[in-house]
Amino acid sequence: MFVTSPMKRLAFKGQGGDLFIVLLVNMLLTFITLGLYYPWAKARKLSWYYEHTELDGHPFHFHGKGEEMFKGFIKAIALLLLIYGTYAYGVYAKDVTITVIGLLVMVVGLLLFIPLVIHGSFRYRSSRSSWRGVHFGYHGKLNELYSMCLRDGLLTVITFGIYGAWFTINLRNYTLSNLRYGSSSFQYKGDGMDYFLMNLKGYFLTLFTLGIYGFWWQRDLFNYYVDNLSWNFQDGRKLQFKSTATGGGFFGLLVVNVLIVIFTLGIGFAWAEVRTMRFVLDNITLIGDADLNAVVQTEQEHKDAMADDLGDLMDIGVFF
Amino acid sequence: MEREVQAIYYDGATSKPQEAVVRVSDMNSLEVQLPNGDRFQWPLEHHGMEWERSSSLLRLSFGEHPRRVLLIRDEPFIKSFALRMRYTGRQGAYDRILGFARSGPVLFFLAVIALLVCAYVWILPWTAERLAMVVPQEVDERIGETAYQQMAFALEEDADRTKLLQEFGDQLELSPSYSPKYHVVKDEQVNAFALPGGHIVVFTGILERMDSSDELAALLAHEATHVEERHSTRMMARSMAGYLFLSLLIGDVNAVVAVVAENANALRNLDYGRGLESEADGEGQERLLANGVDPMAMVKLLELLEREAIDMPEQLAFLSSHPLTEQRIDNAKANAQELGTPAAPNTALEPIFQRLVPSAQTTEATPSSFN
Repeated sequence: MFVTSPMKRLAFKGQGGDLFIVLLVNMLLTFITLGLYYPWAKARKLSWYYEHTELDGHPFHFHGKGEEMFKGFIKAIALLLLIYGTYAYGVYAKDVTITVIGLLVMVVGLLLFIPLVIHGSFRYRSSRSSWRGVHFGYHGKLNELYSMCLRDGLLTVITFGIYGAWFTINLRNYTLSNLRYGSSSFQYKGDGMDYFLMNLKGYFLTLFTLGIYGFWWQRDLFNYYVDNLSWNFQDGRKLQFKSTATGGGFFGLLVVNVLIVIFTLGIGFAWAEVRTMRFVLDNITLIGDADLNAVVQTEQEHKDAMADDLGDLMDIGVFF
Repeated sequence: MEREVQAIYYDGATSKPQEAVVRVSDMNSLEVQLPNGDRFQWPLEHHGMEWERSSSLLRLSFGEHPRRVLLIRDEPFIKSFALRMRYTGRQGAYDRILGFARSGPVLFFLAVIALLVCAYVWILPWTAERLAMVVPQEVDERIGETAYQQMAFALEEDADRTKLLQEFGDQLELSPSYSPKYHVVKDEQVNAFALPGGHIVVFTGILERMDSSDELAALLAHEATHVEERHSTRMMARSMAGYLFLSLLIGDVNAVVAVVAENANALRNLDYGRGLESEADGEGQERLLANGVDPMAMVKLLELLEREAIDMPEQLAFLSSHPLTEQRIDNAKANAQELGTPAAPNTALEPIFQRLVPSAQTTEATPSSFN
């Protein structure tokens, strides 16, 4: 039967060859449909990753469907066309006023989209993810995210980017702490100053060691992400995420991945991806006495994928 | 009657997994038995019943949100289940394609590569040409106009000679669809270029190295062919189509592939560009003949360019259209012989040329090109 042990493990069970086939089929179908298959391809790829990711021996599941992602895709494209269109029309018609308005709309519009993309992506992705039949959810508020992004964005500009470290951590604290899994919830407790000092140290040591320290900097970033995350259950018990990644581990992972990709002219991409997933998941453990069986389904479905697709089109990676 | 297999059951209410025993009954439904003795059936034909399989896992789900889920890892069961769904028409196209690809991955990979190569070599150029034809002439003119106005700041135009060159060009009918606007720009480069829609720019560097009016006529005929045949639009359509092709492919793949692929595409466009240069020579010669100029003038022009281009570094030769000049000269000669000489030579050109280039003499060589 299913007994609870004090330590839970994540694992990745996918094979490079199988991912390669999935990506190849995606590529073929995207190609022969002149790109229209893209949302379905994305859903298939995510499904594959989720299905091969296991926590405590049980796989995750991605519920997103190509159809709903296609609707989001169309909406996102229409929105971007509208934004870029004003500027393009201004240039085409040689109308300076329209061009300037278009340029402003473009810059301001795209900036204003960022919180929307983060919020919408979190809502959509979490709602369409489940583990053991229980769905995840996101309870963050769009207006709160906006005011935070506006404030921290301004501070980052005023401080010439230094405040960016605090911005990143505030964003992480807010989004991850609003993540739910059924009746349980997650919490991220990062500190802007710690994060800033870590990056400062990483930057200079990487510079002085001609890049070698970069792998250890990478480890610090990864550990900071993982070690500050916890999972809280309704009975007050919790699981603490703990990283076991080392700088040497990152060194082996990244160097070999680069070699694989270069020497196979990119064909080995899928195998490199699988190595990364294995490394990441093998190096995360969850420590605590919480009962993973006791979570109750609470979340509603949220099927609007527009923000998620918008993020793709704008090249904003909300998820790793 | 099918055999029973072990499954994991999630009831959708809590995160507690249960061990279930599952079998497909004669009634074409799934019989599930839970450890607490509960039994229920999922009719396989039911619209609320969904199935998905990955390489080693069958996932069945049933009902409205929150759905109830069964996971089965028994391979023979998964195979026979997929087969059953195929016979009842409930296997999706995707599952079928993926199943096919998984059964012979190497063959599938080679087939996809072959298909892509064919598409790139044959379908892509064809599509690009059609695409270019759809673009209205007006767009060419607008693009050319905008580009010229942006360039004009950097170019030092010789107003008097521009007027003369326009007069010279107006004697010839080189581009019936557009009305070419000629410009003379003070620049030592042995160069000339045409923008889509009709702006043709000739540098004083090339003008001053000319000996006679027919060379200038040949140059204008060459450039006007670029305009008339919309070579820039076609180039743009081609590189856009190539770019689209690549982005379709590498949407999923990484940077190394992207770099390799884009450079390959750029090289191919260069080759296409060379083809267009030859086309401009050949059709330019036909235009010369129609305007009472000996098509051999194109040969003289190309020889002039070859003489002036001796400084071109050897390394660049591979990438430029220059080393093909000899081949272009040969082609132009053959073409001129085939076309013959004009019945009534155009006598209006030489006087204008004399005013345009009062000192028809050669100076020292500088790198040259014209495209």
